[in-house]
Amino acid sequence: MIKVIKPGVQLSIQDLGRTGYRHLGVSKTGSLDPYAQVIANRLINNNDNDAVLEITVGLCELAFLCSTEIALHGADLQASIDGKPIYPGWSYKVRANQTICFNTGRAGLRAYLAVKGGIKTPVIMHSRATDLNASFGGLNGKALSAGDILPIDEYINNNFKQTGALAPPKRQIIRVYASPHTHILGNVIADVFINTRFKVSYNSNRMGVKLENAVNSLTHTHSLPSIGVSPGSIQLPPNGDPIVLLNDAQTTGGYPLLGTVIEADLHQFAQFRPGDLVKFEYVTIEDAAKAKHKLSGHLEQLKIALKNKK
Amino acid sequence: MPIHSSQHYELINLSVLALEYVVLIRLFMSQIPTLYALSNSSLLFDASHLEPNNVLSIQKKIWTLAEYCKQSGDFTDLVPAMNSLTLYLKDAQNLNKWQKALLTTWNDIKSTSFKFQHHKINTVYNGEDLAYVAQYNNLTTEDVINIHSKTHYHVLFLGFQPGFAYLHGLDKRLHTPRRSEPRTKVPKGSVAIGADKTAIYPADTPGGWHIIGQTSTQLFDHTLQTPCLINPGDTLEFVPCSLSEDITHD
Repeated sequence: MIKVIKPGVQLSIQDLGRTGYRHLGVSKTGSLDPYAQVIANRLINNNDNDAVLEITVGLCELAFLCSTEIALHGADLQASIDGKPIYPGWSYKVRANQTICFNTGRAGLRAYLAVKGGIKTPVIMHSRATDLNASFGGLNGKALSAGDILPIDEYINNNFKQTGALAPPKRQIIRVYASPHTHILGNVIADVFINTRFKVSYNSNRMGVKLENAVNSLTHTHSLPSIGVSPGSIQLPPNGDPIVLLNDAQTTGGYPLLGTVIEADLHQFAQFRPGDLVKFEYVTIEDAAKAKHKLSGHLEQLKIALKNKK
Repeated sequence: MPIHSSQHYELINLSVLALEYVVLIRLFMSQIPTLYALSNSSLLFDASHLEPNNVLSIQKKIWTLAEYCKQSGDFTDLVPAMNSLTLYLKDAQNLNKWQKALLTTWNDIKSTSFKFQHHKINTVYNGEDLAYVAQYNNLTTEDVINIHSKTHYHVLFLGFQPGFAYLHGLDKRLHTPRRSEPRTKVPKGSVAIGADKTAIYPADTPGGWHIIGQTSTQLFDHTLQTPCLINPGDTLEFVPCSLSEDITHD
């Protein structure tokens, strides 16, 4: 068991999210930085989809009521076990009655904590991910609060070997696949979009990252019949501030799209903090597929390296 | 002069032909849905420009197309929206295949083969805004109840929140602009009218629609094997009942 002493800004149970229910209005949810989740899980020989904790900003404290192994990935939120610093990208042994504290970081927003065997809350609609808007999944459909008890299995391994893995490289410019609505919005808006450095708004959350810019105007008056949207869709509301939809976003929407963030770059939005600057470039479908392939290659290398280590 | 006049005639003829050609192309274009790759693993099939005045007949084909694609097993999700279908592939390798196949499939499918369920939604017409909707439309509250419950509505698609159905078919006499001040909480089970649409709220949520009634029918329950009562393409009607009837029926 893990006992939540302090949840911090937002602490939730996530996995790779729900698929197959979007036509019923059910969002994907799940870890916003799935690669951080997968790498953390692999470091302790878990399944990729085992449920992890998503820690937002930090200021979180967890007490382990049993022994286990953990791995940390994502943002460096200055974590420590009983006061001794631990670092993202590494696995650690935790004994019963030890406490993990997250302070707060200088870069990045979300850390992922994997626990040996995963967090064992009930599977709902094929996933343990917390749907914070619809209030189901995770632990009673809610962000975790002080006093919550999270079920995990005890794990004692006298042969524990610490392992580490690097995160995939980050991009300075986010790659986007073309908008289906260029004919409506016009090339001017697409050009302005590409040539603008946007600032991440304080109004961002797990549903989407809102972007602002004081210089160029992207305002418009178009409204469209609703279409299916998904994490990565970049909506442009009439006020001209684009929104990059993330995992908790609605399944349909009526704003024109500026394009779709390619799958290989979307995880970076998990880590943008308010005030961070974001720039985009359009790439082809082939580039998007290649980038995804490269990222899968990074994870495959990790798998092979871990296998050879045993 | 004969030569001149014949040239003139040919010119006119050509321009008529060109005009006909343009009209034909336009007609032809408007009959073809557009297909976009949204990413290397998702497609948007958009038929919203085909017959904007007959969304229901186009939507019936959209549901049938979604069902056809589902049978293939190639997709993780197929999301109908307003006269469009967004398709999410399991394997990005199949993008080209479906880019080629979808338009042909669209031309071949018959919407009559689509199977759907009809739902009767027991409704207590006691909503806070029932009187306002009646007053706005110069009707009595009985009229509002009669008109609202006499229609068979089509579920165009779901979105906004799990189990929230966008219904087609609200009688023009009940169209009412949204509230100027949205409520911070519209209770679960509220039956509401917003502009030219009517809907049932599957869960508590903020909202600007007029509440005309209440149902105890569960639209979405994550603990059930089939969590969502209503599917895209289903039909439903509201059955007026008293509070006690609604609860005993459930």
